[in-house]
Amino acid sequence: MPTRKAYPLSIVLILTLTLLNFAGCGQKGSSKQLTLAVNSGVEGDALKQAARDYEAQTGVHINIAEFPYANLFEKELVDLNARTGAYDLVMLDDPWFPRFATSEFLSDLKPFYEKRGQSGPDDDFVANSLALGHHPYQTGALYALPYVGNSQLFFYRKDVFQKHNLKEPATWDEVLAAAKLFNEQDAQSAPGGGKMYGYVMRAAQGNAAVADFMPIFWAFGAEMFDPQGKPTVNSAEGINALRFMLELGKYSPPGYASFNADEVSAHLLQGTAAMSINWPAWISSFSDPAKSKVIGQMGFTVMPGAKNPGRAEIGNWLIAIPRDARNADAAFDFLVWATSREQMKASALRGNPPTRKSIFNDPEMVAKFPAYPQQLRSLENSRPRPRTPMWNEIENAFGIFLSKANSGELSAEDAMNQANAEIAKILERGK
Amino acid sequence: MTINFFRHERALPYLLLAPTVAVLLALSIYPLIYSIRVSFQTGAHAGWSPGNFSRLFADRFFLAALGHTLVYAVCALTFEFLLGLSLALLLNEALRGRNIFRALLLAPMMLPPVVVGVVWRLMLNPNFGAINGTLKGAGLDTTALTWTASPRLALASVICVDIWQWTPFMFLVLLAGLQAIPQEPYEAALIDGSSRWQTFRHITLPLLKPAILIALLLRTMDLLRVFDQVFILTEGGPGFATETISLYIYRTAFRFFDFGYAAAMSFVLLVLTNIISLLYIRLLQRQEAR
Repeated sequence: MPTRKAYPLSIVLILTLTLLNFAGCGQKGSSKQLTLAVNSGVEGDALKQAARDYEAQTGVHINIAEFPYANLFEKELVDLNARTGAYDLVMLDDPWFPRFATSEFLSDLKPFYEKRGQSGPDDDFVANSLALGHHPYQTGALYALPYVGNSQLFFYRKDVFQKHNLKEPATWDEVLAAAKLFNEQDAQSAPGGGKMYGYVMRAAQGNAAVADFMPIFWAFGAEMFDPQGKPTVNSAEGINALRFMLELGKYSPPGYASFNADEVSAHLLQGTAAMSINWPAWISSFSDPAKSKVIGQMGFTVMPGAKNPGRAEIGNWLIAIPRDARNADAAFDFLVWATSREQMKASALRGNPPTRKSIFNDPEMVAKFPAYPQQLRSLENSRPRPRTPMWNEIENAFGIFLSKANSGELSAEDAMNQANAEIAKILERGK
Repeated sequence: MTINFFRHERALPYLLLAPTVAVLLALSIYPLIYSIRVSFQTGAHAGWSPGNFSRLFADRFFLAALGHTLVYAVCALTFEFLLGLSLALLLNEALRGRNIFRALLLAPMMLPPVVVGVVWRLMLNPNFGAINGTLKGAGLDTTALTWTASPRLALASVICVDIWQWTPFMFLVLLAGLQAIPQEPYEAALIDGSSRWQTFRHITLPLLKPAILIALLLRTMDLLRVFDQVFILTEGGPGFATETISLYIYRTAFRFFDFGYAAAMSFVLLVLTNIISLLYIRLLQRQEAR
């Protein structure tokens, strides 16, 4: 009878399933083992390589859990919330940090420093970078060390500016005037005779639009919140800043309301746009003949100003130790090692901007990375995104309305009023 | 002895079912009940609260996403059905090269939606994309055709991609339905001198109805929860123009970390899908009862 035969079969099946289940949770941490959650990208690659070197030097075994940018946030949030102790070290993009810190997911680093007889990190770190790892911002306890020191730079075509006898742009008005001039006079001057646009920006909803807007918003004297924490994006300054962005958009390639980093960089690399805000990670591709049609022609400088001096948005990668880490002491040893001067130089040579002044000022490094002086200036003047655990949601809502204004769906005034109302609702919920 | 054997025989089905039931309970029923609990929690408050559900109706993003989902589902379903039916009727005839056409038509459906999203995103790129390139080559002015970047064209573009990918599914199910129809009614109709339209209207369509309803049911359920292609193509943009409910739920849960509200929205989607599915199934049963 077939039913008789099914007995042993089903028992085997059940046993297999149960065993598989247990196999998943069987690993217990030993003192010689660390697990790292890293971003799959140039930042995470550098830390991965460092981990391999550390393994070879110390014999500590390091497991790497690598995730794409968006998944990394989800993974870390879910695992740290469930207090699984799955990771001994986590890489965090700095806008995520307030969420992790207010939820008390991270270890205060002070006791670890005290065990070593130190009061805290050395003063070679750029102050703006180190401030990101404190909760509350700048003044509170230290929960994370900065590993990659990105801040926005202004990219512009040196050769085109020279051709028109223009100096490197110092104000947004100069940027707009130049964009207009190039759009009119350099209609066919892209490599291969195509059209060169005066400016190119990212205005896809979410992070992209907000990141490309913030330097203009701040330069025009606008603020996201007043001192009481109420949203003020629809102030006169805020609306003017958005109007200016739309004006600049007229000299941007069509469809820029859905552009992300890839499209912007493609336009710059192909020589079909003359100016943009961009991140240092793209600098090296401009001297790569396989990608760039504008080798040696791209200039990098600090943000232009308007009413206020120009300030870039900071975007650093931090490393922190979860509160439930299994091997917190060993994790701290690795953290200090990986952010030491020597190791950060190795990371910088792998393409990541450092967070230590001595490396930015190292003549050997400046010879390799000629934009380092501008990068340090930009970083030291940079501003963080508002430090609130609700930032992801606020940035999403703000970005939707910025994108709507740029795609022509809403006027600047309507977009800012509606954004302000949504942000107020989000803050209300977060209370 | 006999009684023992009898008991054994009665217990056996339950024993055999037990693993399945246990797995179902653990993997599907328990999470479902848990998510009901979660949907009644707001913020840090641990008690029961209807806050997430009342928030739904004041949330312009949710209502807009619901609207987009419905427009998306209705438009895509209509075109996929009409195109799928025409293709099935065409390729049911004895055409030359019929098998090659049939195989080729199924290709889009075989591709993972993520791949389809990436390919179309490249093709629809207003500056470097193949579509505008071709149109420009034909002498058309393409400056206004920014496809996924234009608030007016974005939703239509995304729907077109869905139609491209899923019409083959309609075609496949309907073709199978057509092939299952016996020849006799057609022969009888031929003898009675019925026109082609009359044959289609009174023989093909009624006999094809079960296949049509099943195809529509499966596609509707898929369309209401559409996620992957839209996520890759536009991520809901520009602005909010192509945000569907699934995207908004994902964002709320994994970006904003608000699982309660995400669970509440998921339930609305679940109820909506169930109501529509029940309507189809009711129609199907009535058809079979005849």
